[in-house]
Amino acid sequence: MTFFWIVAALMTAAACFAVIWPFLRPSDDAEAGHDVEVYRDQLAEVDRDLTRGAISPAEAEEAKAEIGRRILRAAESESAAASRAEGRLTRVAATLAILFVPVMGLGGYLYLGSPAVPDQALAARLATNPSENSIDELIARAERHLFENPQDGRGWDVLAPIYLRVGRAEDAVIAFRNTIRLNGTNAAREAGLGDALFRVAGSVVTAEAREAFERAMELDRSDPRARFFLALALAQQGDTERAANRWRAMYEELPEDSPWRGTIVQALARVQEDPSQQQARGPSAQDVEAAAELSQEDRAAMIGGMVAQLDERLRDNPHDAAGWQRLIRSYSVLGRADDARAALRRGIDGLGIESAAAAELVAFAAGFGIELPESQ
Amino acid sequence: MTVEIGHFALVLAFALAIVQATVPLLGARLGNARLMATAAPTAMAGFALVTLSFCALVAAYVASDFSVANVWQNSHSLKPMLYKVTGTWGNHEGSMLLWVLILVLFGALVALFSGNLPATLRANVLAVQGWIGAAFLLFILATSNPFARLTPAPIEGRDLNPVLQDIGLAVHPPLLYLGYVGFSISFSFAVAALIEGRIDAAWARWVRPWVLAAWIFLTGGIAMGSYWAYYELGWGGFWFWDPVENASFMPWLAGTALLHSALVMERRSALKIWTVLLAILTFSLSLLGTFLVRSGVLTSVHAFATDPARGVFILIILSIFIGGALSLFALRASELKAGGVFQPISREGALVLNNLFLSTATATVLIGTLYPLAIEALTGDKISVGAPFFNLTFGLLMVPLLLIVPFGPLLAWKRGDLAAVSQRLFAALGIGLVVALASFLFVDRVSVFAASGCGLAAWLIAGSMTDLAQKSGYPKVGAGVAMRRLAGLPGAAFGTVLAHAGLGVTLLGLVSVTALEVERFVTMKPGETLEVAGRVLTFEGMTPLRGANFVEDQARFSIAGADGKSLGDIASSKRVYTARRMPTTEAGIRTFGFSQLYVSLGDPTDDGGVVVRAWWKPNVTLIWLGAVVVMIGGGFSLADRRLRVGAPAARRKRTERPA
Repeated sequence: MTFFWIVAALMTAAACFAVIWPFLRPSDDAEAGHDVEVYRDQLAEVDRDLTRGAISPAEAEEAKAEIGRRILRAAESESAAASRAEGRLTRVAATLAILFVPVMGLGGYLYLGSPAVPDQALAARLATNPSENSIDELIARAERHLFENPQDGRGWDVLAPIYLRVGRAEDAVIAFRNTIRLNGTNAAREAGLGDALFRVAGSVVTAEAREAFERAMELDRSDPRARFFLALALAQQGDTERAANRWRAMYEELPEDSPWRGTIVQALARVQEDPSQQQARGPSAQDVEAAAELSQEDRAAMIGGMVAQLDERLRDNPHDAAGWQRLIRSYSVLGRADDARAALRRGIDGLGIESAAAAELVAFAAGFGIELPESQ
Repeated sequence: MTVEIGHFALVLAFALAIVQATVPLLGARLGNARLMATAAPTAMAGFALVTLSFCALVAAYVASDFSVANVWQNSHSLKPMLYKVTGTWGNHEGSMLLWVLILVLFGALVALFSGNLPATLRANVLAVQGWIGAAFLLFILATSNPFARLTPAPIEGRDLNPVLQDIGLAVHPPLLYLGYVGFSISFSFAVAALIEGRIDAAWARWVRPWVLAAWIFLTGGIAMGSYWAYYELGWGGFWFWDPVENASFMPWLAGTALLHSALVMERRSALKIWTVLLAILTFSLSLLGTFLVRSGVLTSVHAFATDPARGVFILIILSIFIGGALSLFALRASELKAGGVFQPISREGALVLNNLFLSTATATVLIGTLYPLAIEALTGDKISVGAPFFNLTFGLLMVPLLLIVPFGPLLAWKRGDLAAVSQRLFAALGIGLVVALASFLFVDRVSVFAASGCGLAAWLIAGSMTDLAQKSGYPKVGAGVAMRRLAGLPGAAFGTVLAHAGLGVTLLGLVSVTALEVERFVTMKPGETLEVAGRVLTFEGMTPLRGANFVEDQARFSIAGADGKSLGDIASSKRVYTARRMPTTEAGIRTFGFSQLYVSLGDPTDDGGVVVRAWWKPNVTLIWLGAVVVMIGGGFSLADRRLRVGAPAARRKRTERPA
């Protein structure tokens, strides 16, 4: 920001100089008879055209006569307007003009501008350590990665539940379908797909969503999400009795600290409160979201996914010195010192034990307290 | 930091523009050389600052800095680099900045090259430029700031309108603005002359090249816009009499008139007052165009954002500049000295006639454009004044104008001989009639329009060439002598011929397409064929493809002649741009000679087919090639830097009559 103000000050000085400039030069004579000069040029041009043969002598005569007539007219009207002495008015005007530029420039900018906001080029934002990124930036990084490697099953697996949590249900449906296609199915993925379909349909358990939950139940009878939503499907069909029974049974079986317990309590309260309204509107979109709000652990899991991707990439391309530095820094920031040490060793191997880049990597790692045991 | 430096530079440029607008004016009033001399350095420093500001915005687009609201609204990180750069002016704020950049560029050029102008004229001209610059900089800063920031910055932009993601965006707006804004120079000169109350020889010598340069750019900008609409919008039209097109066409018509009247003024010192008025009107029409397009009065691909505050602001600028200039004209015009006299039958007379036609045509287009808007504002009814109105009125006005175009350059200055000129044009008339007859007999026996249109085009081209033949002495002297004489001719002679002949070329294209176009509209399945004007299209099938920021279904067609010989293939596609989920149609175009085969896809049908529209567009490229010829003509004329004084011709004593 200091640098910005230095540049701004230099620009202002340059702008002021443009205004002062004419007052710094010695004064030159006032304008001469410019019109007459132009006509003299024209006469000379006619002569040149004549010698080149571009016009005939007769044409040249006519043209010269015409110019001559104009010179006479111009000379008549030429009023010698000598430059008058510089009066007080001139000095006042000059001073005002010179003051006006910095005052208007700085004042206007301070009113309109945001000097404290730095540039935020996208590439630079995405190149920083994942643990420093906002959740939006993490998602963007994952999306960019998947755009280039659409067959990366793990990427889709990480991204799908995150989409669901930040409310991008349509993207979540695509991501869940991709992870099921690439990684095979399991209860959590099927239940997640059902949840995403439920939200896309506007908090209604559609037939498609119910099928997904049923598949999840087949894979894992105890999956809480699938159980909850299958009961909700009953409630939405009007069978609030059975729905409530299932929720109560589920409540008993769930561990004390399960977030689903609160959701069930609320769902039950609503069903019993007004069963008729219950049918029309799905109750629990907000409840589900509340239960599944992005926690610290989710965030850590996502960052973990990013770091794992980086780790994977360095296996394929071990010559990337900057990549190794990022990986070591990420592991040490996440508190995974052993992984960081392992990464350092692999990095040294990948870059070549004798290489300068490896030496630099060792020094970089030492800055985070990551050092290899002596026996190496 | 780059972004904020750009913002600061813009504010500073505004401050300098105010100094440029006031101090030199005061200096000219007081007769003080130093105050007047502030005009040039402030104009140049202002140009440097606006350039810096513009570059900062481009840099933000290139780097996908979504902390800049304007970048976030109009860019996307996956967009190809070319469209990141051109996207800078593919939106309201950025395009206004480009507008001002070109304005201050012209201001700086005037400052740089005006050393030989009378000091007071120079100061006044630059001060008026300063006023225009200050007004538009204030407009940008107050209502359309491209440097507004967003915190926290979004991670992805909303992408540029897919229709604009085309090479056309790199060419069309800059050319058009060079034209629009170029006319501001003649406006400034006109207003400066009115402030001083006198017009001297230097005035005309200065104004004409600027008008010519602006006019060349505007010609290119309009032609490019027309070709862009033709291939991008997917229905094969090239001119729609859309209000936005009219907004660019009106300054062109008025500018063409100005170009011709400035010619009279430069060479004969006549038509001074009329030229000043035209200079004011031409730039006023440019401003009106800016208002119509930018205020949100019109809905079109050009109206990027509709914000009433902006409309009102531009309306105020418009009223102050047009109203002020015209009031000044009313007050001061009588003080200007009238110029030389001339006979009605003379080069001057022909140019006056040209001006009468062109100004009437401009007025016609103006009425056709504003009338529906006025009706809508007053009664709320939406009426459409479309092609039929313009074809009838504008078209009818153009026919006599084009008929007399070949006469103008052949007439002598001051006093001419119509009978002799007609005699020289016999050959051209013959060519025109033969072409008309041939078109009627061999091309289309029904269309009188096609026959007469082709005839008129041939008359225009041949008539323009007559001028060259005349000057070279061909066929009386041998071809060798004629060639040598042609080589010795000044550039302006070729300029006139090319510009007029280019009109004929464009007219030929317009007439061919309008009268002889063939259109087919069918549903096709893979393997099926379609015959268009003797060419057989075979639908090969659809392929899904993926671009940087879009997915598309591309349909491929192979083309075969009537004899079964393969003529290559053609691909047309339906695209969906992922960020905006916006579909576009990419037409497939293949050129045969001057004609084109144009294929555009409609919606897929349930049974696996797709709706296909195919056109045979005979000589369609001539429309734009003609414009290129016109531009080259303008270039010749601009390159010819001789001083020109119109003296009555004495070449043929026998044709001279007593005045």
